[in-house]
Amino acid sequence: MIRVENLTKYYGNLRGVTDISFRVEEGEVLGFLGPNGAGKSTTMRILTGYMPPNSGSAWVADINVSESPLEAQKNLGYLPETNPLYAEMTVRAYLNFVASMKGMSGADKEAGIRRVVGSCGLEDVAHRLIGNLSKGYRQRVGLAQAMVNDPPVLILDEPTSGLDPAQIVEIRNLISELKGNRTLILSTHILPEVNMVCDRVVIIHQGRIAAEGALDTLAADMQADSMIRISAVGVADALSGKMKMVSGVERVELIGTSTGEEAHFDVHAKGGDDIRSDLVAAVFAAEGKLTEIRQMRLTLEDLFVRIVSGEQKHDEEPVDEEPVNA
Amino acid sequence: MHNTFYICRRELTSFFFSPIAYVILAAWTVLMGFFYSGAFLSYAVVSMQLARNPQAAAQYNITPTSAVLEPVFSSVTVILLFVAPLLTMRLFSEEKKQGTIELMLTFPLRNGQLFAGKYLSVLFIYLIMLAITIVYPIILSAFVKVDWTIVSSAYLGMVLTGMAFLSVGLLASSWTSNQIVAAMLAFMILLATFLVEALAISAGEPLSSILRHLSLGMHLRNFIRGIVDTRDVIYLININLLCGFLVLRSLEYYRWRG
Repeated sequence: MIRVENLTKYYGNLRGVTDISFRVEEGEVLGFLGPNGAGKSTTMRILTGYMPPNSGSAWVADINVSESPLEAQKNLGYLPETNPLYAEMTVRAYLNFVASMKGMSGADKEAGIRRVVGSCGLEDVAHRLIGNLSKGYRQRVGLAQAMVNDPPVLILDEPTSGLDPAQIVEIRNLISELKGNRTLILSTHILPEVNMVCDRVVIIHQGRIAAEGALDTLAADMQADSMIRISAVGVADALSGKMKMVSGVERVELIGTSTGEEAHFDVHAKGGDDIRSDLVAAVFAAEGKLTEIRQMRLTLEDLFVRIVSGEQKHDEEPVDEEPVNA
Repeated sequence: MHNTFYICRRELTSFFFSPIAYVILAAWTVLMGFFYSGAFLSYAVVSMQLARNPQAAAQYNITPTSAVLEPVFSSVTVILLFVAPLLTMRLFSEEKKQGTIELMLTFPLRNGQLFAGKYLSVLFIYLIMLAITIVYPIILSAFVKVDWTIVSSAYLGMVLTGMAFLSVGLLASSWTSNQIVAAMLAFMILLATFLVEALAISAGEPLSSILRHLSLGMHLRNFIRGIVDTRDVIYLININLLCGFLVLRSLEYYRWRG
């Protein structure tokens, strides 16, 4: 449905994105993650035909964006990061204008507007000026605008940025409702959001794709080594000695002690086997009293930070060798 | 065509939503009325004097059209010098500033349609402004005989000159995201074409006629005297085409630079 191949974009001498390739299948929700300035918006702007790439190509709804931009844009709904709106128009007039711009007319247009006004909860403000609306409502108008022609592809650039927590939940629910059979690309730097709505993620960092895949597989890949946190009351040396002897344990780290001679350990283990019961046995063998045991899961944040920081080291040398044209 | 119409309509709604529309229209009406009544009153005095002096009357050959309407119509270029930048300054720069241009450029829409919509909207406003001034020859015709051929040629000239002024304004607006800068740029370009005319007076031939031909305000003069010269028509239309072309280039550049 959406295909991006070897996309490169320079802003003068600055690298926007370098050699980005990915695909999104029909009906899939792709989360586009990355720190600020990583190249998320650049990629999205190229996909929407707003900006031509220096090299590479992009397909939206299987139409080449550079070759036939108008055809591709007809199949597209786009919510830019800044959610630009005409403050002097009423919500209805604005949606009517956007629908006309997208080539709708007559009953088709009326139906489209009525549908998005309903689905985005804009009935109460339909006749108010956009300039007088709250940020949450404006964001909804932005979403309504993107969906008014019921496009098969939706591209949303940070749809929840700058909203208060209640509004974020609202918009997120709205996006989850929209999923259906639409293909959706959603950029964000709020990680839990990705967990909630996306089927797959592309992590982009310094203009390159740092990781790509389904969330679970990404996490599983990174979690080849697991970690278990154990707290126990007892002699620290004896405890760590016994635990080291459990098969699969690679290293035991004493991360601190608290009052009452409670010691806290991080146990790093190889492989994906669950060794918690073995560790509990080891603690008893060292005559310790177990107070807490917890399998540490790699959160998306850890994943993100690992990928981003790993990429940084790996990226240091070749920067100067980049061909800088344009 | 469909898209152009909707862009034009949206621009007109926005224009009349802002106070600037009413300020410009009011200023225009007051200024034109001022010029007209001044010319009308002085013509009344002069015609009385000439009636008493048939010799001088034969010498000067003053008609109501030349004495009253000519100065009023000529003043249009001077007013346009200020009004055209004000009318056009927001058309592209406001969209750039508010970021709405990003959406406009991702709609299935050609750059040419975007330009045409904006151009037509401001042309429409200008035509309304010109339409208001038609009352002056009509009032005049109640007292004296008005030469309607000259009046129509003058209006053709004013429409064409206005179009050229407005396209320069649009071009300046497409260069910047700041409305004031856009207005100043348009004003300076238009002013330069007036200064070119001043240079023409002191320059020798053939430079003088080249400079005079380049001057934007110059070309209205023939129309006002009832002469429709294809050179003037082609010059004014070419200004439109040139500015239109440059606006499209400027939009392309804007897309590239992001």
